[in-house]
Parts: sequence; C-alpha cells; structure tokens
Amino acid sequence: MSTKSQEKQLITLKSWDEEEFVVEESVAVKSETIKNIIEDCGLELIPLPNVDGKTLAKVIEYCTKHSTGSNDDSEDLKKFDDEFLDSKEIPVLIDIVLAANYLNIESLVEKICTKIADRIKDMSVEEVREAFKIENDFTPEEEKKIRNEHAWAFE
Amino acid sequence: MSCGSSLLLALPDDIFTIVTRTLTPRDVCNLCLCCRSLYALGVSDKVWLTQCNVLDIVPQRDLLEWRKGVSSYRALCQFLVCVQPLIGIWVHQNPELGNVVYVMPGFISVVGCRIIPQELGPLGLEDGPILWAPVFEIVGDADGSAAFFLHGRDKETDYFYPGSLKAVDRTCNVLLLEVEPKQQRNGGKLVHSKSFAHHLDKELSRRICRSDSGISKSERVDGQNASSMVPFNKLSFGDRRKLLDIVTSQVRLKVPESANGLLFASVTGGNDDEKFRQDMVYLCERRSLLMQMYKLGGVCNDGEDDPLMHPPDPTQLDLSEIRKSLDRSSGFRSSLLNGGNDNGWTHCSSNKKKTLTGYFRDSLKQILGKSNSSISSSNRQNSKNSSSSGENSNKHAQLHEFLRTGDTIGLTLHASSVRLSFYRAWPNMHDSRFALYKLPMHAPAVGQEYAGLWGGTFGWPPGKPSEEKPGKALFFLLLSYEESQGKRQLIGTKILEGTHYVLHPNGSAMFIVNINEPSHEAFPWDTDGDSHPLDVRQAFTGEGIANGYGFRYPGSRPGSLFVIQDELLAFIWKESKAVLTMQRLNLQELLKKGERVPALPPIANFSYLTKSYSNVFAGFTNTSNGLSSPR
Repeated sequence: MSTKSQEKQLITLKSWDEEEFVVEESVAVKSETIKNIIEDCGLELIPLPNVDGKTLAKVIEYCTKHSTGSNDDSEDLKKFDDEFLDSKEIPVLIDIVLAANYLNIESLVEKICTKIADRIKDMSVEEVREAFKIENDFTPEEEKKIRNEHAWAFE
Repeated sequence: MSCGSSLLLALPDDIFTIVTRTLTPRDVCNLCLCCRSLYALGVSDKVWLTQCNVLDIVPQRDLLEWRKGVSSYRALCQFLVCVQPLIGIWVHQNPELGNVVYVMPGFISVVGCRIIPQELGPLGLEDGPILWAPVFEIVGDADGSAAFFLHGRDKETDYFYPGSLKAVDRTCNVLLLEVEPKQQRNGGKLVHSKSFAHHLDKELSRRICRSDSGISKSERVDGQNASSMVPFNKLSFGDRRKLLDIVTSQVRLKVPESANGLLFASVTGGNDDEKFRQDMVYLCERRSLLMQMYKLGGVCNDGEDDPLMHPPDPTQLDLSEIRKSLDRSSGFRSSLLNGGNDNGWTHCSSNKKKTLTGYFRDSLKQILGKSNSSISSSNRQNSKNSSSSGENSNKHAQLHEFLRTGDTIGLTLHASSVRLSFYRAWPNMHDSRFALYKLPMHAPAVGQEYAGLWGGTFGWPPGKPSEEKPGKALFFLLLSYEESQGKRQLIGTKILEGTHYVLHPNGSAMFIVNINEPSHEAFPWDTDGDSHPLDVRQAFTGEGIANGYGFRYPGSRPGSLFVIQDELLAFIWKESKAVLTMQRLNLQELLKKGERVPALPPIANFSYLTKSYSNVFAGFTNTSNGLSSPR
C-alpha cells in the first residue's frame, strides 16, 4: 500500500508485554519483516510477539537514526553505532540481535555480531567464560583432550 | 537468564556463525573450550566452513569439493592454516636463468611448481601453455595432518619421495630440504628394516608400541628434540648432501600411471563446469592413492596378507643401513672408530633378543668408541686441535651426534624464518643450503599501482613473435616500490629469463624509474600489433640494465617506462631503442592451462646448487614451445 508522498504514515508497533510504539512508516520498514506485513496486510497496528518492550525501544532507536531522510554523514552514523552498541552489556546485545534477527534488520544483525565477536576476540578461555558468564562443565581430562585437538590453532 | 552460556546458546546457528566470521581459528577454539554446549556449537561444519572461507585460499566451490576427502571442515581448516604461509613465489639464485617455484593450491594440497625458462610460442602468453615441472606437494590427510612429497625423476621414471612437514613458521621465508632422525613412530605405523623384519615377531613390535602409547604427544616431541640434538643445518655441506642422497636413493615410491596426471584442476570452477567436475573426481582419487602410498609404502596388493610382514614406514629409513652407507662411501673411519669392530653392527640378527632402541644404541657404541661420554669429551679435545684430522673428527662427531637421536631418518621439509638481507627486491642467498627463498610480493595498492608479477618480452609489437624472431624469450619481472634518497622508485626485478644463455644475474633490476619524474620522451609507435590506436597514459624517467663490468656487475643506461592503457607497460632504452613490454601475470591461471614437463633428479629438483648460466631444467625433448636448450 503506497503512502501519499507528502503525508507521513504512522505505524504502531506492539511488543509482547503490551508496550506500544508509534513510529513513522519509513522507520518501521527498516525491518524487512514489518515491511512485508505492511505490504501484505496493510496493518497500522502490528503486534510483535517475539520482542519485549525494552528491546523494541532500542531497535526503534537504531532504525530511527538510520532512516532520517537526508543522507546523514556516514561518520556520524558510525559514531552513533559504536556508542549505541559499545555501551550495552552482553545480555542486552543478545536480546537486540535476537530481535533484529526476528525483525530481519540485516545491517543491525551484522553490526551486533561483530561487536559480540569483539568481546571474544583475542581473549583467553577464562576471560570469555567470565564475560559471558559461562560455567565450565568439562572434566580436566576432557579439557586437556580438546586443547590437544586444537593445538594447531595456537601455534 | 539463568546460566550465562545460554547467552550465546540462545543464538540461532546462522547468527552464531556470523559472530564467528570475524574470529580467528584460535578464538573459535577458545569458544569450544568454554563449555560442552559451546563445544558442540563451535565444532560444527557451518562455523568451520566460514573459517575456511575467511582464509581465502581457495574459493568456496573448491572447499565444497575438498570436504569430500576430509573428516570435517575443522580438519580442513587445520590443514589450510598450516600450509597458508607456503603459498607464494619461492626462488633461488641458481641457475642464473631463473629458479622460480610457485606454490599454489592443488586438491587438499599445495603444489610447488617450477616455471621453466622458456620462449613464448606462436600463440603468445594468453593461449600458449606455460611450461612447468613439479617440485613438491604437501597433501592433507582426512584429519588435517600434512604429508610431504618431493618430486623427482631418475632414469626416465618419475618418483615420489615421501617425508614429513615440520611445523610451518607463520612468517617463514626459507624452505629447507632436510633429513631428520626420528624415534620409531607408533600408533600402528611400525618401522622395520627389511633385513631383520623376520627376526622380530609381532609380540615384540606390539610391546614397543604399547610402551610408547603412555607417553603424551608433547613428551614424545620433547624426546625427539633433545637439546643435545644437532640441527641438520649445522652439519657440513658434504654430510648434508650425503644424507639427502642416501635417503632419496632408498626412500622413494614409483609414481603410478594413475597418479601421474593432474596435480591441480585444469580449469577454474565456473569456467567449464563439466571439465571442473571431471578434474575433481580424478584429483580426489589421486589424492586417496597418494595418502595410501604415504602410509603403506605402495599400492595395496589385494590377496597378499601376511600379518607378520608389516610394510616398513615408507617415509623412514632405519639407521643401520645409513651407518653402513656412510662408512662405506667416504672413509669416515676416524680415530673415533674402534678398529676391528665393523662386525658388530653388520650382523643385526645376533641382537634379535634386544629391543630396537637397545640394539641401535649398542651398535652405535661400537662405532663411536667405548662409551657415549667419550664423544663429547673427544669433541672438546678435537676442537682444540688445529690439525685437519681434529676437524674431521669434530665433523664426524657432529654427524654421529645428529644420528644418535633416532633410530630412523627421513626426508623433511622445514619452512623456517631466518634473517634475510635484501639487495633491492632480491634476497641475498646462502650458497650451500638446499633451500628456496620467499620472494615478498606486494599486491597493487593506492600509490603502488604496478606492484606484482609481470611477464615480459623484448620487441614490438608485444607478445607475438615475428618472422625474423620465431621465439621470444619470456621474462618474469617482479615490480616493487622503494624509497631511495627522497625519491620514490619503481623497480623491475628479473626473476626468470627465457634466453638460451643468461644475460644478467638472477635478481637484477631490469629497470628502475622514478615515479615522481615524468618522462617527456615520445612513445615511438602510434598503434599496437593489431593496428589499434594506443593510449599512452603515463611515462616515467629512469634507467635500464646494460652491460657493465663483467657478468656479476651490470651497468645501466637511461630509458623511460611507458604505461599503456593500464594493462601494458613498456620500458624503452633511450639510445638502443630496445623495448621491453610487460603485462600482468596470473600465475595460477597460467599454470592451470600449462604444460607439465619432467622433473629433475630429486635433490636438484628442489634446489639446484651447481652454478649454471644455461637452462638446466630443459634436459628433455619436446614441446610445442621453443625451449631454450642447455649448452
């Protein structure tokens, strides 16, 4: 359904915990999923059962910044992205990437994955375990065996 | 969220794979070590296919084919990471016409191909096949471990010379052909000498194996690399040569017809699908055959199944043979040998009750004198002597010390990182090492548009031979940039020359031009050979090589480098008006379409150390192209 060129169509997005967000259509369609729903069903109120309100707010913040009509300075955008993502704890990043995946916002998924990878890169096993709150459930023998298996990667 | 690991585990496979895309293999391995669930996620084929893709050694299409011969993409990644530093151009000073070995991917392998000094045929560089000979292959096993095969030819027969690959230094710049003593391998690979295999029964061999299995891998490695071990490179040239001769004369496998075809695909996937598929099938079978030969020492003969006769480890030669050969061949008998004890080690059978290691130690004692400790003391004593016999004893002691650390010896490829000095773009090379040296190659970049490998010929129009000159010598030039006295220079270093007798030393700069100094010379021609108008983009001033003081010290004369349409370079000598035209080479593509010619005998095939100014690689009859014949 095409919008009238001058008017800005507004869409309401509703999270599973009943929070509603009113956004411009141009912002909402950054999500391929939402775009398809609008095109197929022409809804103005879209329920999103897989996203909670807190996370949806952050996703909308990202999409808003990345859809301002003018071609924003790419330097500025990059700065926003870095600040937006670096400031978030890992559990929050995971929530956002899962939401972005569900909503099919490819650029956001890629960026978050890179940021998560940055938190793993060049770290020792112990550091990764601590950052991601992982419990070691290997026996010492198992761990030794796996280290041997992967010795080639550490040369 | 309860447990932290559910953070990463909450990610669907695809997302997890995207996360791992920017991680190194080491990081992924660390992830696998975190906990069981992450291990299961982290070892998946999806994650490791991504890792293999990131390495960018072969396109994904090839990876999908290679997967059929390995146990997992993780194993494939292990192999690729191992051999990646070997890929590139390796050179040697000798012969002066050029010794260029290009190491490129094969099929679950990398192949070292020597480009033969040659002339361009009538079809030019694009369509005329380039001549090359196989030097070595490093093939990956199903578990990702690597096997080394040296290629060589002896009396009209092609052979593989199997050996091991030492852990490859990531920053390696020298490839050394060496001999390495080893402890008996276990895990089912038994080492027997043919002469006493029938004396050892299966029980004894199994007992030896079992006692080894308790030792962890790292401990075994430490045992081999005892600090007292003399490295191969410390031995005298004569000893190194001798050891290589002995091993290559005894440890070799005839190349079966079925394995003497392609070493790598003849087309790039996507260009000719049918041919590509056929090549993949052939290469897959060939590689299985090679691995079988590597482990069993020959093609398996069905119907012969003698459980007592385990085949000897085809990459190793037991040392009793060596000591015989060494002592026989060059009068090694020095003051260290006890007179009259020759009999001690020639009759192996008399010691059948002892274990193998005990046996070797005993015979060695007899060769080296009453006790082992006498070696080091006599070493010290001898080194103080200035007499030649003292030096000889020292060298013999070194050789025996070298051989002492194992019961077998075998061929090994050692990719190591050494301090190399360069003269402009060419490494300064140690004369007596059986080595190939890495040529640092830079990809074109901003400000370095013409860096890389170019192929050139003399004369105009470029590439096609004329009536008067039926064969045009093919030159390989490496173009690189250098800062010198405030000037940015573009240097064209000659690494291969297709003439019959070399004009200038290997590694000479054919031209050096100043990037900041445009030339005002006019390009002598308006059109190319096909009468298309020429678009001369740029011209630089500089100097081109000329005869100087003897062969070793060429001079230079003024000239200009012209850039024509970005794909063609032409250097013209101002006075003589000689023209050297160059175009970029994609060596991998050229070799795929190339024509294979026979190799040399194994050691010479790896590193030809005898000084030569002519084409030593062309000792055979053929071919469609004109081949510069040896004098």
